[in-house]
Amino acid sequence: MTKRFGGIVLDISFRVLVPFTLVYGIYILTHGEFSPGGGFQAGALLAAGIVLSRLIQGRSAGFNISGEHAVIWAGVGTFIYALTGFLPLFFGGNFLDYSFLPFPAEELHELHAMGILLIEIGVTICVMMTIIDILDAVTERADIDD
Amino acid sequence: MQILIIEAALLLFLIFTTVCILCVKDILAAAIIYCAFSFCAVLLYFMMGSPDVAFTEAVIGVVSTIYFVVALKNMNRWCK
Repeated sequence: MTKRFGGIVLDISFRVLVPFTLVYGIYILTHGEFSPGGGFQAGALLAAGIVLSRLIQGRSAGFNISGEHAVIWAGVGTFIYALTGFLPLFFGGNFLDYSFLPFPAEELHELHAMGILLIEIGVTICVMMTIIDILDAVTERADIDD
Repeated sequence: MQILIIEAALLLFLIFTTVCILCVKDILAAAIIYCAFSFCAVLLYFMMGSPDVAFTEAVIGVVSTIYFVVALKNMNRWCK
């Protein structure tokens, strides 16, 4: 971010707020088992960071994700969720049965933690990209009507 | 006892902000007061012992306020 944008208040608040929000979203995602938080909250927080950078710097922002890419990534997030659900079916378990995930792990609770983390990553990507896509749709409609 | 007083004050402020949202003529001001309402609801959820719901409400309150302000771009700001 070498380019200055707007006033000094917008510039400094962009540099302070957006990286902190993104890192805090990832913390909420990975620490969600032991503290309040989880996939939905982490996704909404990451989307809030990207929406902030979009509001401050416009379409040429460093962290911007366009609407077309956002739809594709939302599908990828749903695919990760579904893949984690269907993968144990091919290894002798039930749907979403984390004990039969084909990952090398010493004990059973490691497999459970891994499966829950994969589910949360899928939910995070889906929620984040859906919020960005809704914002993109609203701003596109506003641009067309002008 | 102090908890009860703080909770009663927060509930009264919640009702006050809701009446303000209904009465105000400026839609941008209504969106901003809705953000204050959301923050008040966050504090109430937190005092009732559900930090998970409070966290969700905080994040979604911010995002929905941004949606309202962006959607206000192509409509009249003042209602009659």
